[in-house]
Amino acid sequence: MTVIEAHNIRKSYGSLEVLHDVDLSVEEGEILALIGPSGSGKSTLLRLLDLIEPANAGELSVFGVDTVADHGTWLDLRRRMGMLFQRPIVFNSSVYDNVAMGLRYRRAPGDNIDRKVKEALEAVGLSRYIKSRAIDLSGGEQQRVALSRVLVTDPEILFLDEPTANLDPTSTATIEAIVTRLNREADMTVLISTHDLAQGQRLADRVGVMIEGTIAQTGPSREIFREPKNQQIARFVGVQNIIPARVVSRRGDFTVVEAREKEILSATPPPADEVKMVIRGEDISLHRRKPGYEEAENLFPATVTAIEPTAPFVNVTVRCGCDLVALVTARRAEALGLHEGMEVWVSLQAKAVHLIPRKGA
Amino acid sequence: MVNGNPIIEGFIEAIELIITLDPQVVEITIRSLYVSLTATFFAALIALPLGALIYFYEFRGKHAVVSTLQTLYALPTVIVGLVIFLLLSNVGPFGFLRFLYTPGGMIVAQTVLIIPLLMGLTVSALSGIDRDKRYTITALGASRLQTVMTIIAEARFAVMSGVLLGFGRAIAEVGTVMIVGGNIRGATRVLTTAIALNTSMANYSLSIALGIILLAVALGVNIALSLVQRR
Amino acid sequence: MKTNATHLTAGIVAILLIFALSVGCTETAPGENETPGAGATTAPAGGGDILRIATTTSLENTGLLAELERVYEGETGMDLQFIAQGTGQSIDSGRRGDVDLVLVHAPDLEQQFIDDGFGINPRCIAYNYYIIVGPESDPAGIANMTPVEAFRTIYLAGTNDTQGVAFVSRGDNSGTHTQEQVLWEEAGYDYDGEILNAGGWYVEAGKGMGDTLILANEQQAYTLSDEGTYLSFADRLDLVPVVAEGAELMNRYSAIAVNPEEHPGVNAEGAADFINWLTTNETKQMIGEFGTEEFGKPLFTPLYAPECTEPPFNCTCAEPVTA
Repeated sequence: MTVIEAHNIRKSYGSLEVLHDVDLSVEEGEILALIGPSGSGKSTLLRLLDLIEPANAGELSVFGVDTVADHGTWLDLRRRMGMLFQRPIVFNSSVYDNVAMGLRYRRAPGDNIDRKVKEALEAVGLSRYIKSRAIDLSGGEQQRVALSRVLVTDPEILFLDEPTANLDPTSTATIEAIVTRLNREADMTVLISTHDLAQGQRLADRVGVMIEGTIAQTGPSREIFREPKNQQIARFVGVQNIIPARVVSRRGDFTVVEAREKEILSATPPPADEVKMVIRGEDISLHRRKPGYEEAENLFPATVTAIEPTAPFVNVTVRCGCDLVALVTARRAEALGLHEGMEVWVSLQAKAVHLIPRKGA
Repeated sequence: MVNGNPIIEGFIEAIELIITLDPQVVEITIRSLYVSLTATFFAALIALPLGALIYFYEFRGKHAVVSTLQTLYALPTVIVGLVIFLLLSNVGPFGFLRFLYTPGGMIVAQTVLIIPLLMGLTVSALSGIDRDKRYTITALGASRLQTVMTIIAEARFAVMSGVLLGFGRAIAEVGTVMIVGGNIRGATRVLTTAIALNTSMANYSLSIALGIILLAVALGVNIALSLVQRR
Repeated sequence: MKTNATHLTAGIVAILLIFALSVGCTETAPGENETPGAGATTAPAGGGDILRIATTTSLENTGLLAELERVYEGETGMDLQFIAQGTGQSIDSGRRGDVDLVLVHAPDLEQQFIDDGFGINPRCIAYNYYIIVGPESDPAGIANMTPVEAFRTIYLAGTNDTQGVAFVSRGDNSGTHTQEQVLWEEAGYDYDGEILNAGGWYVEAGKGMGDTLILANEQQAYTLSDEGTYLSFADRLDLVPVVAEGAELMNRYSAIAVNPEEHPGVNAEGAADFINWLTTNETKQMIGEFGTEEFGKPLFTPLYAPECTEPPFNCTCAEPVTA
């Protein structure tokens, strides 16, 4: 079942357009991560979807209810959702009162509030602070208070806006574990925005990439990482090699492209004549001598021109007509005895060479 | 006081007046506190809801209203005194109340004097609740009324600071109480007017004693302010 | 919009409360007549009436009023409330009906007040003399002159920029100020035209008598003062009386009730009672002795019949009044 369906959402603040042409649908029980650089509109989109503020244009239905036609339903719909913000936000009252806020808004019975608040604080490991003033807690503890404050209301959809951006690794792990468990056990739908690619990959079933105010691509995280639709997405998901090339022919299932007079095979059907090759550094293998048996469709000699450690990996730039950056583990770099000027063999599967059209990238 | 430094002697006598709880000093102090506390109470009763109204409702000219209020923070006390005097005078529109030259009249004048301050500070106290907190309240499922109440509760210490500032302004001002109260001994004489009168009578020791008390009250207000603001 | 209504209601309730309080205050003063009330803190124990008297700063500053208040309140339980304003402003307060009685010292203004129908039952109480005080060195050289000669000499010295000559005027339309203006006119000068623009030597204080004396003392200037205030301030001043003789310097204090026909709200009965008390021999004796102990000589001379009906006083001082 689709719980959120958005079409052509647009949002401006004054003359500043923050969102445009946003299309998104969210299925019940999935975890969707919105990734994208700062300022790409992730937080604004989450606020629109949580019905905290209205969009300027577009269609939005939540739980199957058209929210544009009838604002009167907003409060009821909003009370079935919850949102955790990037900055830990607590109110100037006790931890208990902080966590009880949402339940009190919903006029829950007192004993019910009491039980749920205590359970929620137990779950985030803050029971001993139940009577403390919330603003006296540390940032990580405050964020856990904020999370329990959302969770006691049993949201069907949980929005998390960069929830761990300012937190220590322990608090981050706690929050991620709780979110994953709730998704699995309570079938809670989760939308998380993050600029941490690894977090998106770790938690999400599906990833949406936001670039400059719109959702540029959605899909399983593997797809986003391997087959970005355009250069901006490729850059954002950390592709090291984006190389202009020209389609010259088809050879079986493969597309032959030429870059600086070097022919390379790609498994991507040609999207245009003028293309760019998108190759992740970790997909490029280096060998000391020509491998006797190699499955990779592309195999060619090259010269090492630069070695840049980025622990625990090493970025190795090789020249083979065009420059390629390969990502190898530090251990493997040592085993290969890599040094500048060294002659090596490069192997690269055709599947690892993704093609995007050159224009508009 | 014929010989010696009148200031030093005044100080010594002033301390004696305070320590021995001189009835005149005690009476004037109590009246000052009564008038200004009552005025602050009524001003808060009027200004806090109005300030909240201005903050929570969008309307044309809202910005102008807020900056007008801020201008009125420095409303000259003598002008308020004059206006209230004309309104309360027997021939004025509210003369029938017989409020001129009574503590009631002084309370009205000080109330009017500090209402803009309290309104303005209420607006800024509420504005001090940042955008993310307001989003959080909405996201937690608060209705419009619940949102308003939560923001007010959250701003309570800042609002309280504003009220304390208003009280400080009320008790320290001399312009309205002199004109509207008339500085009647035993009826409308308060700390500031008594200081003015006794200084004009070269009765420095009483002036100094009352001045010390006024300073102590101001200091008390400031201590309370810093306690409130630390929260 | 629900909250809108809530806040509006709160505001309206607050305003109503203020009015409720004001009505409550007015009603705390018992009595037949509509007496202005002042709330619980001001009504004396036993709950007597309140009598509001606008008076001059020169009387307030001597301490006589505090003495009269103490005795009268002790005898009658009436709450006397003195508002020290200067004679001009006091008479205006009477005209508006903001007070019940005025106690002032400017015969011309008083007569106007009575002629206009606002003042009734005038009774002269006591007198003393104005004196011209100034620095002991007497830079204008006016000692032993008549008051009018002295003013003329000060004017000439002042306009010639004679070193050290300055004159501080009350400048507040008080009785003393009125008297000063009379003296300038008698000396042959147009007050508004010639004196006010006479130059830097003529200083307008715009304050009460005590403040003006202190200002004149700071500037070592001449000023016109009533004798009573001067004597009560003398120990803090270097100034000395320079001219103290002359019929023009006579300073007569009168009590005048506010006409209840003009202002029905005033405490006419209380005003009549107080005037009658002021004109008793016992009170006059008390006024006549006031200050002897502290200043070595009395500050005021009480007026008795028939002396008061003759020149230079020409006033009523004995006949009892009725409300």
